[in-house]
Amino acid sequence: MHSRANKILLLVSSLAALALLGSAAVRENWLQEWKRIQRSYAKALPPESRRDFRVQLRQIVVPRLRVSDRCVSCHVGMAPGEQGISGDRVLSKHPNVHHDPADIGCTVCHGGQGRATESAAAHGDVSFWPEPMIPAGQAYAGCGTCHTHLAVPSMARLEQGRALFERSDCLSCHRLDGRGGTMRTGAAGGMEGPDLSRAGAVGFDEKWYGKHVSRSGEPAAAVWRGAVRSLSQDDQQALDIFLSSRVGAPGLIEAKALFHSLGCRCCHKVGGIGGDDGPDLTRVGQLDPGRLVFDHVPGERTVQNYLAEHFRAPGKVVPGSLMPSMGLSETQIEALNLYMFSLRRSELPEAFWPKDRIRAERFGAREFASDGATLYGAFCAACHGADGRGMRYAGMPPFPAIGGRDFLSIASDSFLAVTIRSGRPGRRMPAWGSPGGPFSESEIDGIVRHIRGLGEGTPFAGDSGPRRWIVADAIRGESLYKANCSLCHGPGGEGGEGPALNNQVFLSSASDLYLLETIRGGRGGTSMTGFASGTNVSSALAPSEIEQLVAFIRTWEVKQ
Amino acid sequence: MTGSSSGQSAMGRPSEGRCPDGRSALARFGENLRRAPRELRDSMLRSGSPATDRSRSAFVFSSLFLHVHSVRVHRWSLRWSTTMGLGIAAAAAFLVTLITGVLLMFYYKPYPDVAYLSMKDIHFVVPTGRFIRNIHRWAGNVMVVLVLLHMARVFYTAAYRRPREFNWVIGMLLLVVTLGLSFTGYLLPWDQLAYWAITIGANIAQSPRELTDALGITHLFDLGGIQKLLLLGSDQVGEESLIRFYLLHVMILPLALVVLLSVHMWRVRKDGGLTRPADADLRLPPITPATYPVFTEAPQRTYHLAAVVKGRTPAVGNGPENCVPAMPHLFYAEAAVFMMTVLACLALALLRDAPLKELANPAVPENPAKAPWYFLGLQELVSYSAFMGGMGIPLVVILGLLLIPYLDREIAGTGEWFGGPGGRRVVARSAFFGLGSVILLEAFAIRFGWIRQWWPESPQLLITLINPGTVLTLLYAIFSLWAIRRFDSVRAGAMALFTCFLAGFVVLTVIGVHFRGPNWDFFWSPSDWPGH
Repeated sequence: MHSRANKILLLVSSLAALALLGSAAVRENWLQEWKRIQRSYAKALPPESRRDFRVQLRQIVVPRLRVSDRCVSCHVGMAPGEQGISGDRVLSKHPNVHHDPADIGCTVCHGGQGRATESAAAHGDVSFWPEPMIPAGQAYAGCGTCHTHLAVPSMARLEQGRALFERSDCLSCHRLDGRGGTMRTGAAGGMEGPDLSRAGAVGFDEKWYGKHVSRSGEPAAAVWRGAVRSLSQDDQQALDIFLSSRVGAPGLIEAKALFHSLGCRCCHKVGGIGGDDGPDLTRVGQLDPGRLVFDHVPGERTVQNYLAEHFRAPGKVVPGSLMPSMGLSETQIEALNLYMFSLRRSELPEAFWPKDRIRAERFGAREFASDGATLYGAFCAACHGADGRGMRYAGMPPFPAIGGRDFLSIASDSFLAVTIRSGRPGRRMPAWGSPGGPFSESEIDGIVRHIRGLGEGTPFAGDSGPRRWIVADAIRGESLYKANCSLCHGPGGEGGEGPALNNQVFLSSASDLYLLETIRGGRGGTSMTGFASGTNVSSALAPSEIEQLVAFIRTWEVKQ
Repeated sequence: MTGSSSGQSAMGRPSEGRCPDGRSALARFGENLRRAPRELRDSMLRSGSPATDRSRSAFVFSSLFLHVHSVRVHRWSLRWSTTMGLGIAAAAAFLVTLITGVLLMFYYKPYPDVAYLSMKDIHFVVPTGRFIRNIHRWAGNVMVVLVLLHMARVFYTAAYRRPREFNWVIGMLLLVVTLGLSFTGYLLPWDQLAYWAITIGANIAQSPRELTDALGITHLFDLGGIQKLLLLGSDQVGEESLIRFYLLHVMILPLALVVLLSVHMWRVRKDGGLTRPADADLRLPPITPATYPVFTEAPQRTYHLAAVVKGRTPAVGNGPENCVPAMPHLFYAEAAVFMMTVLACLALALLRDAPLKELANPAVPENPAKAPWYFLGLQELVSYSAFMGGMGIPLVVILGLLLIPYLDREIAGTGEWFGGPGGRRVVARSAFFGLGSVILLEAFAIRFGWIRQWWPESPQLLITLINPGTVLTLLYAIFSLWAIRRFDSVRAGAMALFTCFLAGFVVLTVIGVHFRGPNWDFFWSPSDWPGH
């Protein structure tokens, strides 16, 4: 029995425990990252402010948003009431943006873990934090947390407006996204127009052009003379569209316009509108990197890398993916990433909903412009091609060409409208019109008009006869079908290389003339040859034989 | 005005009566004020500083906190190899957990979502919050380990034998309460780890359904459903469960533990102190000056008459020759054990953070969803049969453990490590057999599957009756019966069974912790898990 030994053991372990407690105390009070940073901030302050500065935990608390953001404990310059150290990466003031961080906190726009006080944890670069910060350089994606910009046009239209804006020398009087504005400040002779960086958000006078023209006509306004070019109606509209897209988030609306030009919504839903073949992208910006599979993604395990690699080669990143490689350039991928990160849609208390989100979610306002060109670009281009020539992706049946002369001359507007409205049930073409689809009749008409104008534009040649007039021997037609058509269209008309012929929507909207002419003349630029003239593997079909084929095809039509 | 108690003073303070020297009241006041600090100190130690036999004794029995100890302790009990201080260490771990837990209660909020945010605040913002939380988590785990080790020590030294059988039962209750404390605390952070671990636990509570479904009587008697509802307060883990678990964790179970612990320690007193071998006095080395202080005079054991002492208690009939005063010997030993436990908890807390995963999300299950580590051996058995792994085998194990003191009525080897017929030999052989059978059985099941992989149509009842858990239990039972016959001793059989149980528990827990990945498939290492 070793009382002495126990005493020594007690002493040693007590001293060790004290040492551990001491080290914990030191770690807590002196070695904490944010305290060190605040001390260096205090050193960099001018002497008169240094006296009033206290090293303490700082946070922005907005109870209704359930936000307690301690980012400002390290980023002291951004705390309300602090002056910031210019040029320092950590300690500078917050860049001038419309929203004051003191009102909504930091994580609403930037993501990350607001409650943390260590930099890695706060930036969300740790395991088990599902929402890491939006990457540097893409901060404007954070706008998507609350905002849903409406009526974004296709890229081409937006760029048209931007080009006009630059060419019309608007920047000599107006600032936009930090550029331009008059060099002549002050009252006499100098006059600056309003900053247009947020023209889309605050609104602008829709009669601005007329007013500009009348001002430039005034004899006394020297500075106005020659300031306004003459613009056509279409040019004015393009400029209006461009101005509406200026919301103080440079790059974001351009990214969204790019998204609306590549036909992504063909397969993906955003905000409830789109196709079903791919996952819903409404909240893709909030992907949890801890749940993604990075086996085939090189580099860091960030959502940014994942999305970029996915755009480059979807089948590599997600084995078994239906998404084809789109052939995007790196700048396009970067822009699309920005848009992807903006798809956040956090749950917000209603008092914080901006007008655009209320209009989008309560009143069904469209996020995309409703002109035919934008709709086609947003919903159709990925499958049918931007030029309507169809698309062929590796490992998939080809998507039909719809812009060719041969097709458009025999396809009536109503045929096109029915196809768009009802789709091809059971096949890849979804129903876009009511019931079940999102488009209104006027939107469908717009798309039809756009399709009509593809290439050089092809009018409908007209069809005076009834929809069905062919009477012929379907049994003969069956053997002809087996010999000539089944290879591409499937033995039961279910499709393959060629479209499905047994589809009920197709059969009920196509006229016999349409079918006849397609078989007779074929479709230039596709695998469908004209069977009226022979090929080197089959002889020509007589007109009666073609009618028999049509009669056979009609046997698949189910009488309503 | 006088500073002494009514007359009695063990220290020889000058008794203050009236002041005959005629000093003024003001002078007296000043004098008393000057003496107040020393008088304060002396009044705290009612019996004065422990420098004589009598004051050492009084130090113990006149203190509310210390008088649960005996005044005199047998030298055998103070040897490290007797107990390794495991009981005290477990109590020390409990005390650390209690204190840090109370501190955490100042900031923790027991409602879903808010609970998680309060954990983040504790970790990042509350001064020493991260440290205290880490200590709490580690001390809880250390307590479970120490309780299990303590149980093993008591078993192997046969300290459960008459008249200590019921103390063993109380010890088992303490084990259950300890596991309950750890389990209820597991839910409180409300993260993915917590939520899904408790979902697993609740589903294990529901496991009797496997049996009642197979028998078709669930609509009459749904024991599984009742158990799960009682546990969770709802169909799934949610706000009700959190409040319930919080109440159990901070109030009901700690009170139960304190009460049971008091009974446990009181019984040790009444049973005559810690178990000793019959020849302990002969085996102790002679008393040397190093073992001072010892009792120098024959004691007047007047307090002994407070208890009716029955025949077999070791203390009866023995003189005080090998007893030493509890103050200082026992207390220094206890303090050393306590401090080392505290040191271990502090060190672990500084080295590793307690885990905190994402906010609990009922829509996104963890895969694999694992119960706390001490239940992972159970979960491994549950993966073969929910009822047997969740209820059947645990009940059998607990029942078996409870019955040990009533089945082993021998007296040979009490107080000795691996004492009793068979001794170290039977323990070694059992360890070998236990490890071998569990490893082989698990390897077989992992490599070749079990009944349903070979005959997909087999009825559930067959698998409930014949699965690696039941087979293992059967093997262990057969082995221990063999040991009883071979060594002609129930104790040998008990040692065989207990050792096999320990081996099985350790191996199954290790498999559950390390070798099971998503979908409970076998992986050699977590880095092999798909998608990670």
